Amino acid sequence: MRRVDGTTGRRGGPALSSGPGRILVAVYAVFALSASFRAGFQLVTDFSSAPLPYVLSAFAAAVYVVATVALVRSSERSRRVALVAVTVELVGVLAVGTLSQVDAADFPEATVWSGFGSGYGFVPLVLPVLGLWWLHSRRPRRGRPPVG
Amino acid sequence: MLTPLAVALGAASLVLAVWSLVGAVRAARPSGGQLLLAAALEVGLLVQGVVAVVLVVTGTRPLSTATFVGYLLTIVLLLPAGVFWGLADRSRWGNGVLAVAAVTTAVLVLRLEQVWNG
Repeated sequence: MRRVDGTTGRRGGPALSSGPGRILVAVYAVFALSASFRAGFQLVTDFSSAPLPYVLSAFAAAVYVVATVALVRSSERSRRVALVAVTVELVGVLAVGTLSQVDAADFPEATVWSGFGSGYGFVPLVLPVLGLWWLHSRRPRRGRPPVG
Repeated sequence: MLTPLAVALGAASLVLAVWSLVGAVRAARPSGGQLLLAAALEVGLLVQGVVAVVLVVTGTRPLSTATFVGYLLTIVLLLPAGVFWGLADRSRWGNGVLAVAAVTTAVLVLRLEQVWNG
């Protein structure tokens, strides 16, 4: 079995879930869980009252889940998946944050990304930036053995 | 809800958070004392959970029962998950994970009270 606390991921490249990455994964997991709960609750109870924010809530939840799983796996492929998920997350929080300021009428109910994540201490805004930095600093080097 | 218990749980979470942060800054691994505090905190959270479930079943309900139960489940599972994930890393980052779990627990204890009181 692969060591969970190993410093190298599957098939080369440093693991994404060791060192500071451990904290990053923990925060991503918290957001995956809370966003999923929130979205599930919104979709089941009163979807019709605010379809757009609720769909965005569900989308945000899915992005967090994908990013969490990809960061934990740290394989070559999941590294790319993580990069896409974190980038989508950054675009999402910026777009929804801006929309929720400009067009408040369309956002009567908050999503995780409303007001740039102000309801969550702006962590949703900071998290993708840290994620991108982390993926960049732990990218596999070509032609060299992976460094631990 | 037992407000004194919630206050104690919130305070204990914050103590654990500060303790873990100090450990992370000093590049230490989580200590036995921290794990003891985490275990005591978890027992308190479970007691709170049982009390809440009894209250809900006997008819004293928060405005949004579904949200409340969601928070309750998260709050009980979060700390064990954090300890498990944090201890697997034998470095200062394990303490960092504990700090994140403890801060989140404190926030959730507060939110749980807010949801209960409507």
